[in-house]
Amino acid sequence: MAEAIQKKLKGEVEKYTQMQKDVSKGMSARQKLETQLAENNIVKEELDLLDITNTVFKLIGPVLVKQDLDEAKATVTKRLEYINGEIQRYESLLKDLEKKSEQHRELLSSLQQEYQRAQGLAVGKV
Amino acid sequence: MAEKGKMNVEHLGGVVRLREEHQKVVKDCESRILHWKKVSGDYEALNDRLKTLPDQLSYDIMVPFGPLAFMPGKLVHTNEVTALLGDNWFAKCSAKQAQKIVDHRMKYVKSELDDLSKTVKNFEARVGLVKDLETITSNKGDYVDIREDTGNSDIAVTKGRQRMAHKPNSKPKLDAVLDLKEEDEEDEGEGGDGGDGGDGGDGGDGGSRKGTSTEEELWARLDELEKLEELQDEQDRLSYNADMNGEDTSSSSEEEKEGDAAPPVNGLSLKPSRTSAPHSKEPPSSDRKAEEDDEEEEGSCLPTIFFSHTIEPKKVRINTGKNTMFKFSERKEQKELSKRKKKNGHNNGLSHHELHKITTPVDIYRLFVDVKNGEPVPRKSILKSRSRENSVCSDTSESSAADFEERRMIGRSFSHDETTHSDTSDGITEEEESPTAVPLHPASRFQAFSGTVVEKDPMPSAVPHLTIAPPALPTILERKQEEVAPDVGPPQQAPKRVSKFKAARLQQM
Repeated sequence: MAEAIQKKLKGEVEKYTQMQKDVSKGMSARQKLETQLAENNIVKEELDLLDITNTVFKLIGPVLVKQDLDEAKATVTKRLEYINGEIQRYESLLKDLEKKSEQHRELLSSLQQEYQRAQGLAVGKV
Repeated sequence: MAEKGKMNVEHLGGVVRLREEHQKVVKDCESRILHWKKVSGDYEALNDRLKTLPDQLSYDIMVPFGPLAFMPGKLVHTNEVTALLGDNWFAKCSAKQAQKIVDHRMKYVKSELDDLSKTVKNFEARVGLVKDLETITSNKGDYVDIREDTGNSDIAVTKGRQRMAHKPNSKPKLDAVLDLKEEDEEDEGEGGDGGDGGDGGDGGDGGSRKGTSTEEELWARLDELEKLEELQDEQDRLSYNADMNGEDTSSSSEEEKEGDAAPPVNGLSLKPSRTSAPHSKEPPSSDRKAEEDDEEEEGSCLPTIFFSHTIEPKKVRINTGKNTMFKFSERKEQKELSKRKKKNGHNNGLSHHELHKITTPVDIYRLFVDVKNGEPVPRKSILKSRSRENSVCSDTSESSAADFEERRMIGRSFSHDETTHSDTSDGITEEEESPTAVPLHPASRFQAFSGTVVEKDPMPSAVPHLTIAPPALPTILERKQEEVAPDVGPPQQAPKRVSKFKAARLQQM
């Protein structure tokens, strides 16, 4: 009986660690998005500083591609929107994950107790 | 102890870790600040360069060629800059625009730096706090953790013994200096146990006196004492009630008793407000006790008065020795009065109900009610009553003869104690009627005492009481003067002061 519980516990622990990994991944992704957001904000502001006489390039691969200023501005705005959406998505995802991990932690602790009891019983029987 | 140490260590570990984490954050922030400072420096340099770059049309420069080699070159288009905006966006712009961009970046860097410095400050404060906590918990440094262990039974026992040692000392004290507290006297009358209960704080002593070593015994003793105290309280209450009910008609002795029982509560509370006269030397309780006590008092407090012993029976005083007795008793009364004011539990027929403890509206009513033929009759004037109530002197000043008669009647009906008082009032009235004739009285009635007594008495008594009485003048006159002035009903203190001044003036004359 104790062994079964142990197996279960192991599985749960693995799941839990996986979940933790997901959480950390989500966190890092979100952080990256944050930095991108900041960067794009700066770009947008600096593009606002320029006027029509300035040429704007986009580095695609090894080449600089000439872009129209307004187009560039629109692109940056769109990118900002996308990043914001991504951040929100990650936020909700992270919340969900955290809740799940919390539940899992409780489950794990209860399982651990059960396992310990089972072990104690086994010892008593022996 | 070991446990405590362990707990300490655990706690300490947590604290240390907290501190380490805080320090890590602080360090991280500092490194980032350094980074941003470097960035800001770079931008400043760039800004400088951009400022000077368009000054010339072309520059001769060494162009880096790979990681190892440089080759000479020429920088043209000095006012043409391609700036990386971020996210792989480039913009070709003039040096001036580039400077704008740089300024914008500098702003961003600055805000970042500000944020970081704020964070660092915050965490440094936290680190300081944690450090303090650490020093506190590790019991080193200036901080002392105040800890109180719950009572060890041994300690309690030793405490009890110490107190036990105190008790025998205090016990004899009670007997020897029974003047100090009238309570003590009372207690003595009721028994040693009552005294213990009354003292309250001595409860523990009582327990320890028995030499109780076990807690149960101690508690039992405490319970016992508590019961006793309750009993005493009840007694007090009962006596108080009786006092209230039977004050008018009951015999003076009973009233006296009641007065005795009452004062500890009332007298104490009233003391500060009412006392104007200097503290009397005699124990207030003893004076209230009985006539014998009074006489003793007189002897003790007025050492110069010899006739107090010689003149024995009070009855004689009542009937004949109006003047001498009057002076004598008056002084006594004065003293008593001062005490009474403090104690408020006096037994004089009149003042008794007047000076009652005021705990209920009924008492207040009683204050302003005269008792005539056993029936309460409201006073005509509050002021009058007040003055009378406050001082015997005012008694003398009371000119309403009927009132005096009334009082005298009451006094007569009362025990000898009362009678003396009423007698004094009698004498006073006589004086009032004919102040000039006062000195004559003693001469005519008590030849032996008249001159000497009258003059000798006032002196010693007057001095301690800070009253009046220039040596040459008869006290009565003096008294009269004082009385007339405060007739309007001033607080009792006023007349005395006046008299003092007047006395001084008279002495000067």
